[in-house]
Amino acid sequence: MSRTDHVLVVEDNDDDFETVTEAVRRAGITNQLRRAVSGTECVEMLVELLERGSTLPALVLLDLNTPNADGRDALLQIRANSNLAVIPLVVISASANPRDITTAYSNGANAYHIKPVNHATHLEILQTIFTYWINQAVLPTHRSLSR
Amino acid sequence: MTIAEQGDASRLPWADGVYSIKRHGTSLTNCDSEPVQAPGCIQSHGALVTARLSDLTILQVSENSEQYLGAVPERLLGQPLGNVISSEHEIRLRSMIENDSIEGNALFAFTHPARADMAPLDVCVHTMSGVLILEFESSSRGADPLLHPAGDFFTSVRAAVTRMQSTTGQLAFCDRIAREVRTITGLDRVMVYRFHADNHGEVVAESKLDELAPWLGLHYPEADIPKPARDIYQRIWIRPVPNAAGPLIELVPLANPDTGKPLTMTYCSLRGASVMYTEYLANMGVGASLTMPILIEGELWGLIACHHRQPTAFPHQMRAACELLAQVASLQLKSSDRIESLEYGLKVEQIHQELVAKAAREGDLLALSDRQPSLLDAMDADGAALYHMDRWWTAGRTPSEEQLDALADWVNLRPEFLSLTRPVFATDMLSREYPEGAGIRDVASGVIAVQVSRLRRDLIMWFRPETIQTVKWAGHPDDKPLVPGPNGMRLTPRRSFELFVESVRNRSLPWTMLEIDAALRLRLLIMDLATSEGERISELNVDLTSSNEELDAFAYVASHDLKEPLRGIHRYAHQLLESADTIGALNRGRMESLMRLTLRMDSLLDSLLHYSRVGRTNLEFEAVDLNDAVADALEMVGVRRHPSDVGVVFERPLPTVLCDLVRVREIFSNLISNALKYNRDPHPRIEVGYLRPDEPGPRPNMPAEALGETIYYVRDNGIGIEARHHEQIFRMFKRLHGRDEFGGGVGAGLTVVKKVVSRHGGHVWLDSTLNHGTTFFFTLPSLAQPNRNRE
Repeated sequence: MSRTDHVLVVEDNDDDFETVTEAVRRAGITNQLRRAVSGTECVEMLVELLERGSTLPALVLLDLNTPNADGRDALLQIRANSNLAVIPLVVISASANPRDITTAYSNGANAYHIKPVNHATHLEILQTIFTYWINQAVLPTHRSLSR
Repeated sequence: MTIAEQGDASRLPWADGVYSIKRHGTSLTNCDSEPVQAPGCIQSHGALVTARLSDLTILQVSENSEQYLGAVPERLLGQPLGNVISSEHEIRLRSMIENDSIEGNALFAFTHPARADMAPLDVCVHTMSGVLILEFESSSRGADPLLHPAGDFFTSVRAAVTRMQSTTGQLAFCDRIAREVRTITGLDRVMVYRFHADNHGEVVAESKLDELAPWLGLHYPEADIPKPARDIYQRIWIRPVPNAAGPLIELVPLANPDTGKPLTMTYCSLRGASVMYTEYLANMGVGASLTMPILIEGELWGLIACHHRQPTAFPHQMRAACELLAQVASLQLKSSDRIESLEYGLKVEQIHQELVAKAAREGDLLALSDRQPSLLDAMDADGAALYHMDRWWTAGRTPSEEQLDALADWVNLRPEFLSLTRPVFATDMLSREYPEGAGIRDVASGVIAVQVSRLRRDLIMWFRPETIQTVKWAGHPDDKPLVPGPNGMRLTPRRSFELFVESVRNRSLPWTMLEIDAALRLRLLIMDLATSEGERISELNVDLTSSNEELDAFAYVASHDLKEPLRGIHRYAHQLLESADTIGALNRGRMESLMRLTLRMDSLLDSLLHYSRVGRTNLEFEAVDLNDAVADALEMVGVRRHPSDVGVVFERPLPTVLCDLVRVREIFSNLISNALKYNRDPHPRIEVGYLRPDEPGPRPNMPAEALGETIYYVRDNGIGIEARHHEQIFRMFKRLHGRDEFGGGVGAGLTVVKKVVSRHGGHVWLDSTLNHGTTFFFTLPSLAQPNRNRE
């Protein structure tokens, strides 16, 4: 992983994905954005990357309430796989239920954010996430592992 | 280092040298400071010689050496040990030093041959920190006519052990021990003495000559066998004092010439007995004593105490037999002790179960107040009280109802009740924590209390009286007149009893862990019963719990799903505003309103969610200093940042109250933030205070239900509220002013305040005059009425 690797966004809502794209542009992040529309698809994509020995994403942005195996299961499966467990994983969800928040952290999420109704605030939160994780945080280098 | 250098020894009479009972013993006033393990003296029925372990040079000799060994100490000191014992015995000794573990373990070594006018002497030997210690004692009981025919101790012990093993029950077993030991020793009186948890002792078995007064069942204060003596019994198996009135024989020299230290005589059977002890024996008419400890898992369970009116002798073989019996007794009592407490535990549990089952059948806790079986049949207590349906139900000896009320008020506030794992209060000295307890010490020096319903303040308490009133104490002034000893009344049982009475005033026998656990267990049984009080209620409860959980989940999902489209609407409006090249002022305004409305809907949803949670989630009660709660609230509403603009006044510090900190903080933050918000005064002023029920002061509009409660208030100099609105303002989303006047807000704050107050069992109301400010009042009875006693 490095800060030029792609960012995987798990989001079933097209509008919200568009907001993510907008935030990436505003944050000046040039990383490629890939999208999964469900937790299942997200896990499949990551496993395929591992099998092909390709580069893992620098960051996974996960919506909890996606169809099929939703984001909660995806989180569990990613953290259960020792090769994927190192990927920074940030949850952004419309749920403010304290139980969801606690579960996410105890299952290994690196951060939890609530999607606000206010669009400007929503953009601001996403921008902050990208600026922080892509530009500021030190990321693990596990290229060798993925090979 | 000598004893004089230790700690505060300077105040002791032997401060300038090594201790000797002979010189310093009678001036002692405190048994616990006596160096019983290094008394500097031996008893007179033998002689003692110590030698340097490395070269067997004689270091110390008892001053009576001429009588037993035919040479005065001066002729022996510094000489080789070989001058005293034969070369054959010296070889035997060297072999024992080499091969046997005799450090702190005295073993029989050989019999020293008879001299002209002396019987042969048994020699026991052990080592102690580099010193070899030899004890010479006569091997027979001489011409004592009461003598047990010194026959075959091995056979008698084996028979005794077989008989001991075939007894069942702890008391029968103790009785058997007493009889067997008396058979083997032939002594006048043999007692089995058991220590209670507070270290006082009780004679639980006795075998004696018919003409002696029985001591069975008597209790002895702790001081009769002081701690240093009890400590020694954890290390030795036998303690012979064949002639209590015999002279004390000092060691020459008193201190080891190599080290300057006194000789540690813990393991010497000749060790000089404390004057305190021999005097005590003499005052009881005892001429000789033999004592063996009963140890269970290293702890002193009790003693086998033997008394003889005349001085006698305890030959080595007889001592060995007694040691063995004490060890067998220890082993066997260990399992019987366990069985006994197991049986007690089972009995308590069984009766408690029976009571609760009855309560379940009758659908009422009052079954616990029944006579047959009663709460007292289970626990070993003298009284029990149940507080239920706002009154007391008692059994046995208990304090009066007024006294119970006062005690309950106090005990309900005990922090122990807040424990999640062991919510029980237990004491064997109530007055230590509850000064009024001294007034009920004759019935309730010992108390166990458990709350069986916090909500209704239901309690169960068990009581034990002051120990001094319940048991037969040896030395009790009513028992019999006793003669003063040679040192006056100092060491007579009577005197010791008087001292003891002082030390145990207000104390009961301590509660065992088993009893405290049983109280906790009964509480659980009752609480189980309470939750299943009648099938219907229990089912309703389950339904209610699950529907509460469902409601909680529903509220979150609803708010989540309702917000989803809101987010979309807000985003499109936002994007339209940003991207539209030209947009008229009118349409721009409409677009902005659209966005403002979605945000308002958002906060309405949040308030609704919050309110529904305040009403359903469990409160967490703890002792809360309301001053802290208010300080936090002020910070939350941002008052700290503008101290110059806002005057916050406290008439006096607020009390500490049992309540849910987070929720109560919310009361204050809502009231304070309203006080600030609805205020046009250039100098906003807020007063936070309280009124105790016994204090004078105006209580406008107080509802009757708040009578007798402490009232808290938040007063402001704001815009005031018209009387006709006083009821409505607590309604959800009720606002008296325009949406954007007074800083907006959704109108949920007071609704939440009312909810939180009522969940604490309290009331909230207000007093207000338009344009002249508002005062909000509330109460927090929080079910335990804690502020009544705490102030």
